[in-house]
Amino acid sequence: MKLRGLTAALAGVLAALLCSCSLVEEPDAAAWDQQAAQALEDAASEVATTRLALETAAQERVWSSYTTVVVADAEEAIVTVADNLARVQAPAGRTEQAADVGALMDRAVASVRAARSLAVQGRYDDPASIDELDRLATDLEDAAGAR
Amino acid sequence: MKRYFAVLLGVLTAIGGFVDIGDLVTNAQAGARFGWSLVWVVVLGVLGICVFAEMSGRIAAVSHRATFDLVRERLGPRMGLLNLFGSMSVTFLTFIAEIGGVALALQLLSSVSHVLVAMFVAAAVWIVLWRAKFSSIENVLGLMGLALIVFAVALWQLGPDWSELSSQLSPAEKPAAEGWAVYAFFGVALFGAAMTPYEVFFFSSGGVEERWTSKDIGVMRANVFLGFPLGGVLSVAIAGCAAVVFLPQGITVETLGQVGLPVAVALGKIGLAVVVLGFFAATFGAACETGLSVGYSLAQYSGFQWGKYVRPREAAGFHVVLLVATVLAAGVLLTGVDPIMVTEVSVVFSALALPLTYFPILVVANDPDYLGEHRNGRLANVLGVFYLVVITIASIAAIPLMVITSMGQG
Repeated sequence: MKLRGLTAALAGVLAALLCSCSLVEEPDAAAWDQQAAQALEDAASEVATTRLALETAAQERVWSSYTTVVVADAEEAIVTVADNLARVQAPAGRTEQAADVGALMDRAVASVRAARSLAVQGRYDDPASIDELDRLATDLEDAAGAR
Repeated sequence: MKRYFAVLLGVLTAIGGFVDIGDLVTNAQAGARFGWSLVWVVVLGVLGICVFAEMSGRIAAVSHRATFDLVRERLGPRMGLLNLFGSMSVTFLTFIAEIGGVALALQLLSSVSHVLVAMFVAAAVWIVLWRAKFSSIENVLGLMGLALIVFAVALWQLGPDWSELSSQLSPAEKPAAEGWAVYAFFGVALFGAAMTPYEVFFFSSGGVEERWTSKDIGVMRANVFLGFPLGGVLSVAIAGCAAVVFLPQGITVETLGQVGLPVAVALGKIGLAVVVLGFFAATFGAACETGLSVGYSLAQYSGFQWGKYVRPREAAGFHVVLLVATVLAAGVLLTGVDPIMVTEVSVVFSALALPLTYFPILVVANDPDYLGEHRNGRLANVLGVFYLVVITIASIAAIPLMVITSMGQG
């Protein structure tokens, strides 16, 4: 009897593990909101890091390879955040919000990528790029707060 | 005069050698998210490592034998094996993280990928472990590690509102947006980073390497009770810099480059050069310490000749362990695994393994057969038992908190 219970428990744990290893997550609305908010916060952090690295480099307080590494790391991290959220299946009531969040994340990825490109060229004080990063940081934080 | 110089050198190397990749990353992460509201954990951890390092140093000075050697003899092979498995696994994980940390520091200088740099770093670590004298490793890298004092200078230069920063010292001042589970997770990680097991193994084995006697207990205590707390001040400064620069901007720390950024903001390129030198020295020094600790622990448990005070030929098994550990660590890093992630995991598992490391030390330090009149007094035992309770709580909580918070994500 004990052995049967243990086997059932083990099977339950294995089933739960298999479900959690699914390629596409299908959370409910509350869980999706939480995941989206976390992703937006993470993206905002990477955008702010990029902004700070460019600003510090523009003031000649940091050498070029350091700036390149910090911004390239931020780009890699924001791409991962965006990809991970894109793999989450939005629940029925969140399709529109998922599209909005996806678009914002795409914008963030593109801006950080553009900033990395400028950093590699040694152009740290491009006003358009700095303004876009500032706007993005605000938009991402607002969107995260709205979840 | 010679004695004063020994104390000064010991204290300075203890300060410079106190911070490793785990302290760098975890303190910056905690500062960026919680300000100084977790500083009490650093203070608790530093006092804890002082208590147990003093015990293990005293054991080495009086018995002329290192920790694992006595644990197996005093508590039996089964307990010794458990102690060996728990401590050595965490130490090896930390060894990987430290080599990765050196590679990350060099990446910041050259922008060459840390994956490529890691194998050269591993080779350099092995050559140093094989050829360099124990005192050279300890003193040169320990003194270079003092470069991390630049974090304290940077914090001063950033000109924070000191009354506001000080008001964050209470746990009640945790940012409202952060949950208590995440706060507890970072608390456990900071505690694990401060009390990481290899420090006591390296310290006591180092005592045997340097042939301490009971006459050296005073110098050893000065190193521990002055050097370690001053090293802890560096941890607090790292957290402070992150709290001042990152917390208001909502930046979370995920890379070594971010850890140094507040120093660049405060002090510019010269400060940044000093901090990168500090990163290099702290991680390279800790890579040597953890690598040696892996060799020490296995050799001491198995009973074969070990140490840098004998020629490599006389301690062939010990040097083979060092070589195998270095090759394995380089192999893990060549897979492209993020050294910061390895660091985050290592500090949590460090917390998990703490009771396996520190309980046997407390038992041996109370044994009159080994320590005679130098066995633990009442104060050492009260502190030892108190820390054993804290360590056990941290150990039990480590994995559940890691799962619940998804490694501190929230």
